[in-house]
Amino acid sequence: MAERIIREKGLVIRHSAVELIEHWVIAISGLILALSGFFEMPTANRYYITSLPGFSWAGDFFVSLNVHYAASVLFIAAALFHLIYHGMRGDKGMIPQKGDFKTSVAVIKNFFGKGEEPPFHKYLPEQRLAYIGMAFIIAMLILSGLVKTYKNIYAPDMSLTVVLTATWIHNIFFVFFILAFLGHMAAIILKPNQPMVRGILTGAVRLDYARHRHPLWLEDIEKMEVFLIPLEQTPLAEIPHAIEETEISPVVETGKETVNQD
Amino acid sequence: MELSKIPQISRRSFLKASAGAAALSGLALPNTAHAREEDRLATLIDLSLCDGCSDREMPACVSTCKALNKDKIPKISEPIPVPWPRKIIEDWSKKKDVVNRLTSYNFIYIHKADMEWNGQKKTLFVPRRCMHCDNPACATICPFSANHKQPNGAVVIDQDLCFGGAKCKTVCPWEIPQRQSGVGIYLHVLPTLMGNGVMYKCDLCNDRLREGKLPGCVEACPRKALLIGPKKEMDALAEERAKQMNGYIYGRKENGGTSTFYVSPVPFDLINGTMKKKPGQPDMQPGVKRRMAATDPLGKAVLAVPALGIAVGAAGAFKWLAQRKADVKGKEKDNG
Repeated sequence: MAERIIREKGLVIRHSAVELIEHWVIAISGLILALSGFFEMPTANRYYITSLPGFSWAGDFFVSLNVHYAASVLFIAAALFHLIYHGMRGDKGMIPQKGDFKTSVAVIKNFFGKGEEPPFHKYLPEQRLAYIGMAFIIAMLILSGLVKTYKNIYAPDMSLTVVLTATWIHNIFFVFFILAFLGHMAAIILKPNQPMVRGILTGAVRLDYARHRHPLWLEDIEKMEVFLIPLEQTPLAEIPHAIEETEISPVVETGKETVNQD
Repeated sequence: MELSKIPQISRRSFLKASAGAAALSGLALPNTAHAREEDRLATLIDLSLCDGCSDREMPACVSTCKALNKDKIPKISEPIPVPWPRKIIEDWSKKKDVVNRLTSYNFIYIHKADMEWNGQKKTLFVPRRCMHCDNPACATICPFSANHKQPNGAVVIDQDLCFGGAKCKTVCPWEIPQRQSGVGIYLHVLPTLMGNGVMYKCDLCNDRLREGKLPGCVEACPRKALLIGPKKEMDALAEERAKQMNGYIYGRKENGGTSTFYVSPVPFDLINGTMKKKPGQPDMQPGVKRRMAATDPLGKAVLAVPALGIAVGAAGAFKWLAQRKADVKGKEKDNG
């Protein structure tokens, strides 16, 4: 099990190595795609980007197309791996749930000092909504990109309607991708979200942060611990205590205090 | 070669190909991903016949092309917005009469090639315009798909969609498309920051082809030095004529293959030697490579990688499921 509590270090494993690799392959290749796609506009020569050290290649459309293709290989492979791997495992943590939109509004209001944050599962409701939005953007970019690539190699005289549709979907969703990326970056600037940055860099978040903000997630982990961790490794005395802690939610209280103090 | 001896292209087969291409070029989704081979047209330019219309003020192909396209470019927006940060404006609207090079108002010109061949002085007249390549980078990597290869083989720029970024010109080995600043859709978006006009070039008179008419230059040529027909027939005719004159063909392999076959009694490297590549005046380098071919291997990898992602994802998930099953069994056993 990837998700587990390491009490002696005060950490909770939030992401497995596979998830970290997926995220960073998609993130880095996505940024390379955005940059090389921008150079295809054409912009590099006009805006003197080619004069920047290390960017002389940006003005050569065939080189930037090769860079775009190379990044696409990683991007598409990671995206489809993600879809199939997590789909088959039945991972549903990032799938939006009923009431997510309403709760997201409450959470966003809380960022501005209004109201209180509800206790969270592993992911925040707006993370689930953002995930599905980004997944849709990525799906549209991949599908339209595949059509364009097929046209480039095998069918330059493909139906103009198909080509125009693919091109404009690709261009419009490129803009959405940039906006979604900026939104993603803006989210981690918000103070309450900052402890999660450690999670996506190292795979683990602080236990006290998780207790404060994701008690429902910890509850799930602790329930699984009871079931999966061999008895000799988990002293009997500890298990009810762990569950009890969550059930009476002292951490939520602490969280409220912290929020109030802020 | 006397005019009476020139093999005539079957008008019937030309019209048949035109009709098929016209049907395919509609907005309806086609049954096939791309045009059928028999729908593709090609032109043949026989340099042994072209005399540059020396007896006329302007070659017939050039004057006809100009006449047919005289109203193509709409009124130029004055003053033309100055692009930022590179302040390049290309305005041919006050030089519409230029005929010795390609401009936004002149889609074909005649290059006079004076050479020495087999110990004799030889002059050839070479009509120059878009080659209508088989896989034209100018069209395939246009960021707005404003430039597109039609099912009949014509490479056509839609002036209503073009932003005039001149990418098509940069990737064309002959730098054929020419920009006219101050017109086009960019004026309505971000005129100083994005785009710079519209790119113009020969479109093989695609509108006339759809009506079953010949391109203006082909129809106007008094010596029938320019012909059009189904690509296979034109290819065979080029071969036949080259054999007859013990000559050479240009356009078959260049830039990965084109829909224009030049036939000449003189080698093309010699003709190319008379051409100094300048803006609007392309050279004619034999065997010029299709540079975009260098991107094909990675492009093919892009098309193949979805299968890899799915396979590895499924394998990983199966492994995880098997491991989980084993763990659960182990726990049940331990708990006795």
